Amino acid sequence: MDPITFSIIRHRLFRIVDEAVITLKHVSGSAITNEGHDLMVSLYRADGSLLMGGVGFLHHLTSAAEACKSIINKFNSDINENDVFLLNCPYTAALHTSDVYLVAPIHSEGKLVAWSACFVHVYDIGAMNPGGFSPESLDIFTEGFSSPGLKIVDRGEIRKDVMDTLLNMVRSPEMVALDISSMIACNNVARDRMQGLVKKYGISIVDEACSNLIDQSEDLLRERLLELPDGSWESRQYFNVKDETYKVILKMTKSKDTLSFDFSGSSPQSKYGINCSKWASWGGLFAPLFPLLCYDITWNEGVIKPIEMKAPEGTVVNATRPAPVSIATVGAIQAVNNAACTCISKMLSASDKYKNEATAVWHGSHFAIFMFGKNQRSSDSIGILTETFGGAAGARSIGDGVDVGGEIPNPISRMANVETMEWTFPVRYLFRRRLKDSGGPGTYRGGAGAEFAITPHDAPDGGINYVVSGKGTSYPMSEGLAGGYPGAPSRYTWIKNQKKNSDRCLSDDLLVGSNSYEGDKENISWGVFPLFGNDYLHVRWNGGGGYGDPLKRDLKSLEKDVNEGLVSENAAKEIYGAIIINGQVDLEQSVILRKNILNNRVRGGGS
Amino acid sequence: MKSRLSETLSFNGRGSIVCSCCEYKICDQDLHWKKSVIISEESMQDLCGDNYTVSQGLLLRRFFCPGCYALLDTETAIHDDPFLYDKIIK
Repeated sequence: MDPITFSIIRHRLFRIVDEAVITLKHVSGSAITNEGHDLMVSLYRADGSLLMGGVGFLHHLTSAAEACKSIINKFNSDINENDVFLLNCPYTAALHTSDVYLVAPIHSEGKLVAWSACFVHVYDIGAMNPGGFSPESLDIFTEGFSSPGLKIVDRGEIRKDVMDTLLNMVRSPEMVALDISSMIACNNVARDRMQGLVKKYGISIVDEACSNLIDQSEDLLRERLLELPDGSWESRQYFNVKDETYKVILKMTKSKDTLSFDFSGSSPQSKYGINCSKWASWGGLFAPLFPLLCYDITWNEGVIKPIEMKAPEGTVVNATRPAPVSIATVGAIQAVNNAACTCISKMLSASDKYKNEATAVWHGSHFAIFMFGKNQRSSDSIGILTETFGGAAGARSIGDGVDVGGEIPNPISRMANVETMEWTFPVRYLFRRRLKDSGGPGTYRGGAGAEFAITPHDAPDGGINYVVSGKGTSYPMSEGLAGGYPGAPSRYTWIKNQKKNSDRCLSDDLLVGSNSYEGDKENISWGVFPLFGNDYLHVRWNGGGGYGDPLKRDLKSLEKDVNEGLVSENAAKEIYGAIIINGQVDLEQSVILRKNILNNRVRGGGS
Repeated sequence: MKSRLSETLSFNGRGSIVCSCCEYKICDQDLHWKKSVIISEESMQDLCGDNYTVSQGLLLRRFFCPGCYALLDTETAIHDDPFLYDKIIK
């Protein structure tokens, strides 16, 4: 095929996905979708294989392919023009029940030519706890509505009986209806534009271009793998629920033009919903693989072919039904993301050509907090605090991680502004700012995480409740690289009985970041909690991992860190070996201190 | 010919793994290099301060070059968990 036509079709496919994403955001009314960008849109071949991976959470690209294939197998001869199917069963293809896939066949001249697929984290799915993350669920049966395949639009007509049944099983059905509508609209746009492309160039030309595009991706990735050294790399992630500790163990082996990921040795599946299914782990390893190894390659089936995975059944990375999985996306999947990021980066570090693509782990642990209750307009309100999408970038061999710089698995993640959250929920923010000493120390510092504190405000019920499913509090999950330290872990503190009417009405201690609060405090991480009366919730989220020996960090950069409130004078001295007093680095004393620390290492000590 | 094992370690082309900073010969290229360097294991919290209020059992392992004391690698570990082993086939 001539290269110009191929290139035009390839770019057109990119634009189709882009336009479909815009549609999804414009129709959806949920902050998690249009502010946090917890979404995904992609195009698939007629057989369900990935054709054009879009943006959003990348661990969904391969799982939605399995959703398409499952629908093809299940409905077979009952797939018609303008149908739309819903699938959200984690043991079929989805990641957890609240990330609902809507997949739609695309026909041209009566022939099935492609599929479009998208997901959003719906407003609610009817699990035990509002919002979808359901820490109190101990099996899949209590994690809400779950379907392995359901026709929701039949030949262009919404099936009212199906929609009514679904909406009858969730909280805030009007918002869930809007979520479903946004996905139908998204698929409609993808279908119309794809049909326009086929009409212009013809079925056979477009089909040939799509086939070539997959071959091109496979060839390019295999060529890249051949440029990298053969070997094996290991990583390990710890995370906790309450007092239980879990491990995700990964050994990645590269041989010639193939790459395999072996999760043997990972913990047995949990009674809590931090597990994930096999397809979720499969998607989880691709989330960092796409951007780190295929940043200039189209993300499609061709990238998938050289990759293998071994995930033993009955473990946290391949749980068996009916194990709960509602926290999967911020639980075991994220540990898989992180472990794969570390192994791929270590492989890149071993290459002169690709060493600058290596990165420490970004935003190792999401801190999903779903608020629920009456808002200031006396309406039911459920939704996530989108700060969890703010993230923090890992440091790289060429520079610091970006403060509050997002995360690897979602290239478009972001958080809403404070005013949006205060409009959505009856709360007031005391502050939201970058967090001192949160970025992993290193020659290049991990990006800082952040902290915020909220208190009830104008709440008809006196406050609001929230669901928290944090698992990165006992172990830092943003691993460092090449001698860099991990970023600080997340922490949630419930501060009770503040004296709002006293002189310290907004808690001077809290505002300056002190740990010695006025009032009682309790560190929390898992379950449902109240935020009522004079209580506060103080959240500190994890920083990115550091890169390289902290003793080699440029002293002037450290001086800037201290002056910007990102590194404390104490950490500068103890970890980085820098004397900074009154905002000024003492070069002479710092050189002496660094020499002393270095000499202390001979005995296995020193910073 | 010299080639990379990681950001901080190299193969010297004569069958050994060396520190990229000072060329100190650490071990034969087929051996587990972490068993031939200076190792520090400290509580993550003691080492990094209050923001790292984590499980008391969590250690930060640091691997130093015996020649120049450069920090070669780090890993978090619970006591008795094995060293992470990265290996390149030569």
